[in-house]
Amino acid sequence: MRWKNVLSLMQVERKSSRLIRGKKLTKYRENRFLAYWPYWLALGIGIAAGVLAGIIYNFATTADPELLNLFQEGTLSVFLSLPTLVLIYSLVFTMMQQIRLSGVKISSQVPYWLPVTWQEHTMASILASLMGFPLASVVGIISIITIFSLFVGQVVVAILTSLAVFAAAFMASATTEILRILQVRFIGAVYKSSGRAAVWIRFAGSLIFFILFYIGYFYVTSGGAITVIRTIASAQTGAWFLPFAWLGITLYSFAMGNLLLGLIFTALSVFFIICLFFIATVLNKRFGLYEPPAITVSRGGYAPKTGILGKIGFSTTESALLRKDLKAFTRRRELMTIFIIPIVIILVPIMQSIGQGQAMPTEASTISLAITFLLPASVMAMSLGSFMIGEEGQTVWRIYASPISAKSLVKSKYVFIIFFSLMTLAITGSIGFIVYHPSLRTTVVACFEAFFLVFALGTISLSNGISGADFTETPRPRMIRQSSSLVNLGACLLSGIAILAPFTPYLLSSTLAVFAPTFFGGLFLDPFLALVVSAVIALVLAVIFYRIALSNAMKLLTKAEM
Amino acid sequence: MNGDLAVELKDVVKRYHEILAVNQLDLSISTGEIFGLLGPNGSGKSTTLKMLIGLVQPDQGSVNVLGVNVQKDPVTVKQLVGYVPESPRLYEFLTGIEYLDFIGDVYGIQTVEKKNRITEYLKALQLEGREGDMINGYSDGMKQKIALISAFLHKPKLLILDEPLSALDPRSARIIKDFLHQLKTQHVTTIMSTHVLEIAQAVCDRIGIMYQGKILALGNMKELRRMSKLPDSGLEDIFLKLTGTDDIRAVVEELAK
Repeated sequence: MRWKNVLSLMQVERKSSRLIRGKKLTKYRENRFLAYWPYWLALGIGIAAGVLAGIIYNFATTADPELLNLFQEGTLSVFLSLPTLVLIYSLVFTMMQQIRLSGVKISSQVPYWLPVTWQEHTMASILASLMGFPLASVVGIISIITIFSLFVGQVVVAILTSLAVFAAAFMASATTEILRILQVRFIGAVYKSSGRAAVWIRFAGSLIFFILFYIGYFYVTSGGAITVIRTIASAQTGAWFLPFAWLGITLYSFAMGNLLLGLIFTALSVFFIICLFFIATVLNKRFGLYEPPAITVSRGGYAPKTGILGKIGFSTTESALLRKDLKAFTRRRELMTIFIIPIVIILVPIMQSIGQGQAMPTEASTISLAITFLLPASVMAMSLGSFMIGEEGQTVWRIYASPISAKSLVKSKYVFIIFFSLMTLAITGSIGFIVYHPSLRTTVVACFEAFFLVFALGTISLSNGISGADFTETPRPRMIRQSSSLVNLGACLLSGIAILAPFTPYLLSSTLAVFAPTFFGGLFLDPFLALVVSAVIALVLAVIFYRIALSNAMKLLTKAEM
Repeated sequence: MNGDLAVELKDVVKRYHEILAVNQLDLSISTGEIFGLLGPNGSGKSTTLKMLIGLVQPDQGSVNVLGVNVQKDPVTVKQLVGYVPESPRLYEFLTGIEYLDFIGDVYGIQTVEKKNRITEYLKALQLEGREGDMINGYSDGMKQKIALISAFLHKPKLLILDEPLSALDPRSARIIKDFLHQLKTQHVTTIMSTHVLEIAQAVCDRIGIMYQGKILALGNMKELRRMSKLPDSGLEDIFLKLTGTDDIRAVVEELAK
């Protein structure tokens, strides 16, 4: 294997992010120091955190020498658990990277016709997956433990831990590489065998995969994470039959002075890493050039549909745009994730409460209701609004070159946002109703509020989505500029607060009635009055921002720079 | 504006930062003409074509297409024009037929008419049987055919085609060339940019050679031969002489060393 080739291929991957960072590409010269800023930052933070921890250690053990043993034991147990921890989160983050890359239009991967061996290609792919957050965090962890070990006198263990941490990250990335190739091959085979149903199989399959992945991710990274990590860290020696635990066992054996066992598990770990790399290389060689078969959606001649959109007042242009967008959101994998977020928002708290064995509350709390009724639909309106124009990507020339007016463009996009946000409200509201059993009055109020939020936040996000549209597709579709996305988030947050503000007196009276029933028990404020005020605020916001969206669309179509 | 003119550019300037892409361009193209726009890479051809349909706004000057000012009323111009960009990016998640259906609806073609035209074009360009496949499974040539059909579908009065025959098989290329001549008899104007000089020579009534954002030479083959003082030469020699890139032999000899 020529390591120079591997490094060159990795550089290609690293440099592919230039396009999405909006660099000025004429007379472009890279600043070698700034190009690696995440790693320098991680190194700096790691050193600072290590020094700080060391100072605290010195201060505490000087003040109370009895703490010395406690610190030593604690440090050792943290060091010993690190390889397994790094393995888990590297697996999660490299998998997330692969999910993000699923929308890549133009691959930055090495052209297969270059004289590069499959070993080099696979090695570069594994290492490139680690670049970014996983590698930066490994750099941070290593610098913390190395510096801190100087204070506690565990330099040898720290060095061994650092090596194990690197190996764990590589192990995770190699596993992701294997899963990625198998997934591509498996999906291709499913498409081929499923014929015309392939589109819907892909849609349902992607939704299920993303939902399961995100639920797992949030479960691990929220309350359940500490439990899972503690369990693995303490029980890793008992899990000797799992190759992924071998690195942790190696470190544990060396730290406990069991050199023979340490050497055996070192050999086993190295063997396992080589096996993972070998499997990834073989799979790449076998399926790396695999092209998924073309999906046939329909057979036979052309049979145009009259459609109901035209009957309910949409022009042919608006109907065509709506139909096109519907197909885009059910066929483009990177857009499918938009449908998943609202589902995950409500499933995660429900699953966590089930996991903790808590009984379902008979009377719904305000937060639970907000999560199930208001949040998913609002998030859907925000996400769709900000992406609806940018999702056109480089094909936006088709919109520019077609006789599409700003009015038709905004109308069709807005109707799409409202339709899917209200669909989301219907689904998540039904789930919330079943799980939390709110009263009929609360349900009606919550539904109307969600309705108002959707209408207002939809226009706000659409106006920001148009003005901040980012049609870049490499290395992945951006859809909206980061700055516009942040502005949109702030505007939606403020508008959401403004729309919900009329309910403040009602909420206050309810809360006070609980804490001081003698004084406030008889106080009753009618929520329907708040509902009317809220509707007026939402209407005003929707009208203002719809006009802004129209004006932004006009500018977009007039400028139409490509 | 002259009623016989399909396109009229007056004193048009377009800059991309420090790069002057189009430099005080004046150009008039008559109705029913097949006009070829040639020039080396980066000479301003694609920018000029994009300005005709409003995809690029000129920094200076005026662009009139079919009697309509492009800057003032771009939607009307787009309704009258069929456009194929240099590397057409299509909606890859749609099938070929869905894409053409979308285009037909955007241009407001009646349902029956749309069906007939789509069927006809798919048959002529041998896409029958693949129209139900998603475009991301198409070859480059098939994508180019879909892009061309989408430009012809609404029967435009002006066709703006940037490298229209690239990636096409010989049969389809011939059909398109003959079809352009047929459209000419129906007073449809065609402006095409190409690097294949044989195509330009065979298809175009007049040719404009662009260089550094300006029209260097303009006319039919006879006029171009006279301008270049190459009476018996083909377009390739004329082009190389006029654009000052006729040092081919020296370059080749240097490379072969």
